[in-house]
Formats: sequence, C-alpha cells, structure tokens
Amino acid sequence: MTREQLSSMTKTQLMTIARERDLAGRSTMTKAQLVDELAESERSPDTAIPESEGLGGITIPGIAPEDRAEARARRDALNERLKGFVDTETHCDWMSIEGHPCGLPVVQGTHRCGLHGDGSIADRAFPLTGQLGFSSWPRLWRHLSLATYDIDAFGLDPVIAEMAWHVLNMLYYDYFRVEVEGIEHVPMDGGGVLVANHGGAALPYDGAMLSLAVMNEAVVPRRVRVVGTEIFNMLPGVSHMYRKVGAAYAARDDARELLRRGHLLGVFPEGERGFMKPVWEAYRVGRLGRGGFAELADEASTPIVPVAIIGSEEVHPAVMVSKKLAKLVRMFFPEQRVNEIAVALNPVPLPIRWHIRFLPPVMPTAADHHLDALDQLERAEDVRRTIQSALDDMLSERRTAF
Amino acid sequence: MRRVLITGAAGWTGGHLARRLEARPDLEVFGVDEIEPRVSFASDFRRLSLDRLTLARYVIDVQPHIVFHLQSVHPTSKHGRNTEAEERIIGSLALFGAIERLDTVEKVIVKSDTAIYGASPRNPSVLSETTRSQGTPSRFQRDLTEMERFIGRAAERDPDIAFSVLRFAPILGPQVNNPISRYLTLPSVPTLMGFDPRLQFIHEADAVAALEHTADHDVSGTFNIAAGGQIYLSRVLRLGRRIPQPLPGRLFDGALSGLARVNINVPRHLRGLLKHGRVTDTTAMTRSLGFEPTLSCRQTVLSAYGHRLGDAQ
Repeated sequence: MTREQLSSMTKTQLMTIARERDLAGRSTMTKAQLVDELAESERSPDTAIPESEGLGGITIPGIAPEDRAEARARRDALNERLKGFVDTETHCDWMSIEGHPCGLPVVQGTHRCGLHGDGSIADRAFPLTGQLGFSSWPRLWRHLSLATYDIDAFGLDPVIAEMAWHVLNMLYYDYFRVEVEGIEHVPMDGGGVLVANHGGAALPYDGAMLSLAVMNEAVVPRRVRVVGTEIFNMLPGVSHMYRKVGAAYAARDDARELLRRGHLLGVFPEGERGFMKPVWEAYRVGRLGRGGFAELADEASTPIVPVAIIGSEEVHPAVMVSKKLAKLVRMFFPEQRVNEIAVALNPVPLPIRWHIRFLPPVMPTAADHHLDALDQLERAEDVRRTIQSALDDMLSERRTAF
Repeated sequence: MRRVLITGAAGWTGGHLARRLEARPDLEVFGVDEIEPRVSFASDFRRLSLDRLTLARYVIDVQPHIVFHLQSVHPTSKHGRNTEAEERIIGSLALFGAIERLDTVEKVIVKSDTAIYGASPRNPSVLSETTRSQGTPSRFQRDLTEMERFIGRAAERDPDIAFSVLRFAPILGPQVNNPISRYLTLPSVPTLMGFDPRLQFIHEADAVAALEHTADHDVSGTFNIAAGGQIYLSRVLRLGRRIPQPLPGRLFDGALSGLARVNINVPRHLRGLLKHGRVTDTTAMTRSLGFEPTLSCRQTVLSAYGHRLGDAQ
C-alpha cells in the first residue's frame, strides 16, 4: 500500500492494519503518525505477513506468522519429496470395462497407478495424482464417482484416504504444527505395532496425527492402520468413514490379519479410559489394556514401536468425566456401550503445538520362545514406562503448550 | 452311471446346476423341490414337500451317489411367522439320516450362506470359516447354524462320506432373482443413513460352477464362496446408476416393509447386512477347494446391472 492509499483511510481502518502488523505503540499514535509508521513498515520485508496456502487467508488466533511460513515450507518440501514416488510422465493404461480410461500417473518403477496396481497402495500412501492438495481433487473425484478401483479387505478407500490426508494436513502443519522425532524407528518394510498414549476427549485426533506423522515424515509414506473400538462401527456416518480413511476395527482377528499382511498397526491400548482422561491426569499413561498388543506383535514377530504424543491430551481439556451423561446417551442409543463421557468446555480444539516422539523399537523374542501371560503384561508395562518417561522428558523441555 | 440328487432344484441355482450336470454322460440327475422349476431341465423332477419323511423316503428310493442339498434353509422373509422354516430343518435332519443309511452316497454338498456369520458391529472385518459370530443371531442365521451342526454330526458318524458346506455370498447376476438382486435393481434404493456396508457377491454362473467343482474334486469341509474383492454399497449403486435414498433407521424399516407390499421382499436378515456389511476370507476356497471365481465383485455388480463383460478387467 502506498502512502496515498493509507492516508485516504479512516483511523479505525489504519488501526486494524497496525494491529495486524503488530505495530508497537499504535494505541497512542495520531492518524498522521500511523500513516507514517505503516508506510515505513511496508518497506521492511521482515514484517510482511507470509501468505499461507493451507488455510487460505484465514488468520488463526494463537498461531504466529512464522509458524504459517514454516508450515508452508514443510508442506512444499513434502510435496516435492512425494513427487519422486510417482512418474508423472507416464500414465496408467488401465481401462474399465465400461470404457473409462484411468489416466493417473504411474507409481515409479511399475506400469500402473496406485489405484489399479498390485494393491500396495493399502500400505504405501503415494500421492495418486503426483501432487498433494485440493488442486488434485477433480481428478480424484472422477475415480471416486466412476468407482474404478477396489477397496482393500478392511475397507480402505485409497481416494477418500488421500482426500482426508489433504484435509488433515491443514491440522497437522498449520494448526497443531506437529514436530516429529525418531521417525527412523518406524520400520519401513513389513509389519510393526505402534503403541501410543491416548487422549482427545472429543475426537481421536491423535490417531489421525500419528498416521500423518508416518505418512509425512517417513522416508516412505506408509499408512498406519489405526484400530478403534466397536463404537466406530455403530455410529452413523463414522461407521464407514473410519474404514475408508484406513482405520480398522480392533478385533483380535483383524489386528492379526493386518500384521500378517505386513501393515503398520497403530494401537492406543489405554482405550476409552485414556481417551476420557480429565485434564489433571493428562500425560499420565494408564494401564495399557491387557497387553494384547505384545502378544500380537510377538506372534507376528514384528517390532513394537512405543510412541509418545504430546498435544492430544490438551486439545480438548476435559474438566469433568460424567457417568450421568453417559446414562442419558444410553437412553437414546441403547446399543451404545458408553460408561463415561468426558466434558470439555471448548467446542473448537485448542491450537496446541504437538510433539510426537517415536521411541526405539522393542524387538520380538526368538521364534521358538512364546510369551506367557506374565511376559505379556511385563512387556506392556515396560512399554508403558518407556512412553511415560519420554512424555515426562518432553514435557520438561517444553516452554509453552501453544 | 452315477446318480445325483438335487434338493431345491426348482430354484435358479438348482435348475442351472441340473442343466449342467445332465449334459454330462456319466451322471443321472434327480431333482426335488416343493414348487415347479423356474429353470426347466430334462431330467427327472419330483415335486415333494421337503418336510419330515417324504424327502428321506425318496432319497432311499433313488440311492444317489452325490447329494446336492441346496434348499436347506428357507430364505424368504416369513421367518418366525410360520413353521415352514422349521419343517425344512427337520427335513434336512431326515435327509442326513437317510444318507447315513445308504451306502451308495460318496459326497454331500450343502449350500449354506455367509449370513451364518450374521452382521454385527462386533464381528471382525474379515470373517474366516472358523470365526464365531457376535451379536444376537437372526432366525435365518440360527437355522443355518443348526443345519450346519447336523452336518457336522453326520460327518463325524460317517467318515466315509465327504461332506462339503459351501457358504455363499449373496448371489448376483443378470438373471438370478433373489431378495438382494431385487433390492439392488430398484430404480431408487433406500439405504440406511450413515451406514455404507462393505459387501461381497458371487456371480450366478460362478455359484453354479462352485457347486460343480466341489462335486468333481476330492475335498470336504466348510468354505466361504465369494468373488474376489469387496465393494461398498454406495459403489454398487453408483456402478448401477441407481439413486440411493438414505433414510434414518425407522424410516428405512418402513421403506422395506413398503417394498414388501409391492412384492419386493427384503428379508429381516438382510437389514443387518445393509447396516454392517460382511466380508469373508476366501483363502480356503482358493487354496483347499481350488476354486477360482471368474468374475470379481465389481464385475459381478456390473454384470448384474446388465453390462456386457467382454474382455474383463
């Protein structure tokens, strides 16, 4: 804006701009001084507000412009890296029997795109169109509406999963500004069990952020098949969506089958009790279920990767955990098995800065050695302690939650 | 000359199976059912009621080598209201009794249904033959379970006879006329709001081929029979250019009973399927039974909606 434009504005408008640019001493200035100062700040590039791609022009209170700039840089870096997995020059020659050609770029090293290839898209989340972001949606939408591809046995719909990836990346980069450490501990090939602390109280954000952390930061963008309780199967709207984006139901058979197929399994063994933790118990990891994950991992001889997540337990600080409310819900939805409901005061999640730390994996025991019930519980307790100490460590390093 | 007995020969699957088997010179086919055949075939057909002892007596007369028990459990919606279903169960019991008495029988092939797993939110996502179903069973499911229990007992008592139970996914195709095909080919299909079940189908030709394959091969046991892949109901409707009408629970029930008024029966046990879906594990089918369906689920759906499948993808 030129000096002329600025001086044609009212003082209120000038004040708004001054507030946006965080001009020091603006409240005591006269209009002329404001014009001078603003014209001055126009020239210095360091105060320019960086444009953001992720959330358009929306400013989010509590999120600094530097963070927006960093989010944008990280997003661009990811996009650049993922492009390498897809050969945009060659197109898939698949043709449906009704005569619809595929036309998506092929996965590097094969002659088919992710949708019509060998099914590895259920494990590796290569961008189908070669780019991430909403500009690829028309091409994805075409495949969605023509139903040209198969879903996997657990209901993963690669197109919907990719759309969800684009949407959730906004939360990941711009809102929660997730920082990831120790991604090298996640196995890049074959099965693995990621065990994390659970929180959220309203929505399982941690499941989404855990899978995005592996998709966005790992050398190969692998999907984490997070498993959830049967409540997901019962809720209208959620019942199919959670499967389409790549989660699965936490039946023992399912988990076993997922590991057998060499997928990464994401589990939150604290379960409902961890999810509904009141805020004063945040980051105190509870009992990790019955240690079933240890047995599963040992059966499939896959490593267990403990994951410490900071952030999930504060986005909706639960101020009370009510049994009466749960009773009320059961009155209307008798088939839901809810015992407690956590009540948070904020309908919008708080813009907490998340940290996810992947810890060194616990290797499976030798093939001839079987875990008995006690070994299982001990291993679960070890994992719990590892996660707890990592959480304590990360919390002591943290200066602010925001 | 080996004799083949087909119960439920009046149905689509039974009729086509009889046609295929009678074309073979080494087989003599005997069909039995309660109603007149929908698909006409040349072999001997007897109209019998499949209850208690009539069927069993007939079986003893025929002295078959291979028995196809297709009409094992009554599939229509009238469950619970009449005793017909129960009569069928007792008919099966009598049939297995008769089979035990005969020493000609080498092979018994029973058509069951994947509905035996029920449809519950607590069911695992992929059901294998040994999975125990969760949740309250429907009448149809209980009848199937009971029938399979008879078979298990008969197989224990008579280890010389190869008993095979084929649990079929819903059979779909351009010609077959069953509740699920009638439902899916409605111009506008009522669906349950907020639920999008994962479904599996088997093509009508593949279903007949699976029965014939089991008779030709030396296998026994329980197998899930379904086409490769799985498909969401919303995709099925999209492939068929049908308009889904999402209705909340009560209205959905109302719509289904409204359809029953205009003679499109959607039985109660399908309601669970349309809510929670069902996907079975077919590795036993491909490995132990050695049967490979020619069409995938997606192709089956396309064929049911009248697409010509030339060079199938």
